[in-house]
Amino acid sequence: MNKDWELSQEAFDALLDWLDSDREQAALKYEKIRRSLIKIFTGRGCVEPEDLADETINRVTSKLKEIGKEFSGDRTRYFFGVANKVHLEHLRRKLPQPTPPPTNDPDWIELEYSCLERCIERLSKEHRELLLRYHGAEGPAETEHRRALAAELGIAPNALRIRVYRIRMGLKECVEKCIERSLG
Amino acid sequence: MTLTADKQEVRSYLLGVLDADRKTQLEEQILSTPQTYEELLLVEEELIDQYVAGGLSEHERQQFETHFLITAERQKNLRFGQLLKRYVNSNLGAAAIPHVETSAPAKKSLTFSTLPAAGRPVMVFGVAGIVLLSVALLCWLGYRRPQSRLAQPRVEPVVVVTLAPAAAPRVNVPPKGYDLKLELELANPSFRNYNSELFRENKSVQTRGELRMEPKGEQYIVPVTITGEVLSPGDYELKLSGVSESGANEFIEKYSFRVIE
Repeated sequence: MNKDWELSQEAFDALLDWLDSDREQAALKYEKIRRSLIKIFTGRGCVEPEDLADETINRVTSKLKEIGKEFSGDRTRYFFGVANKVHLEHLRRKLPQPTPPPTNDPDWIELEYSCLERCIERLSKEHRELLLRYHGAEGPAETEHRRALAAELGIAPNALRIRVYRIRMGLKECVEKCIERSLG
Repeated sequence: MTLTADKQEVRSYLLGVLDADRKTQLEEQILSTPQTYEELLLVEEELIDQYVAGGLSEHERQQFETHFLITAERQKNLRFGQLLKRYVNSNLGAAAIPHVETSAPAKKSLTFSTLPAAGRPVMVFGVAGIVLLSVALLCWLGYRRPQSRLAQPRVEPVVVVTLAPAAAPRVNVPPKGYDLKLELELANPSFRNYNSELFRENKSVQTRGELRMEPKGEQYIVPVTITGEVLSPGDYELKLSGVSESGANEFIEKYSFRVIE
């Protein structure tokens, strides 16, 4: 593949058409494939998984004219095959490992914490209490504690995991925005 | 395949210890099955929480630091997990008293107008008196037994690390306000009391006395809590001695660890 090849709007539209004839569905599938590829490259120990996911998508897109109409089968699997090739090439390149970002500045930690407090205050009462209670036990007691909490709410333990995960992700997003605003 | 098996498998995958064949299958599932992708996201957060709480085994911890924690995104998620734990530890008592509200309709509350005697003055005062007495009694019981209201186990702000004599693990600087609890594995539990002295590059940093051994699984450990503030990146050595019947200190073992940022 030509490394200078870039994803034009026309090529991107062709990719979406290939994924699904319904444009909204196609966009959802595209997002899902990209997110999954990032997780796969991360699982393989790649420190810049987003770049490799984009490279995989670009490569699939650049081949659409060859494979487009004749291709039959699971299209996500095609991405997986291309991702394997991209990964092998990445291993040969042996890119330098980036240094981890600094994390122990006390002022930064306090800024993060005050943002977290503000964001938690903005949660509904039920969500705030659920978050606290869900994380209120650890170690051997954790599983039983969460099972009891799920029973109290009348939902399955896995549904509780998902519910708390969503609260947590919303909270994380709120903290990130709060930090951005605080930094001006 | 059961949900539990999936969870365990995803956990092994995230820690980089899943065998190659199964890893390929799981990666294909991540792309093609939304449930597997969702499970991956959930287990990522759970691993972070367990790491922050010191709940991973030595091997898992090493894998977490060398394999899981490689991307900036996951490092950010770890930071968030540490912040959240700090918040939960500070606010746990406040959440213990009220129950989580469910979507079920709320029970009708007992108001004055719903009392059976409403509208009949003498009986109204009688019933009101009983209600007031009951409230007072409940308040008194609550004041007398505050512990009974706290259904939640309290979580101390400590990071727990198990140390074996031959190992020299890496330990992250504890978050602000946290202490480091070292669980020193004992080869020969022959003393009743123990003393410890922590050294950072041959300079004494903190001493602890009157330490007691505890059973943990099939072995014994001596828990030693190190104040978080005294820890900064560097190499540490902890000398453990037993206190004999005569009160003399007898050196037992040396434990090493490295504190990293």
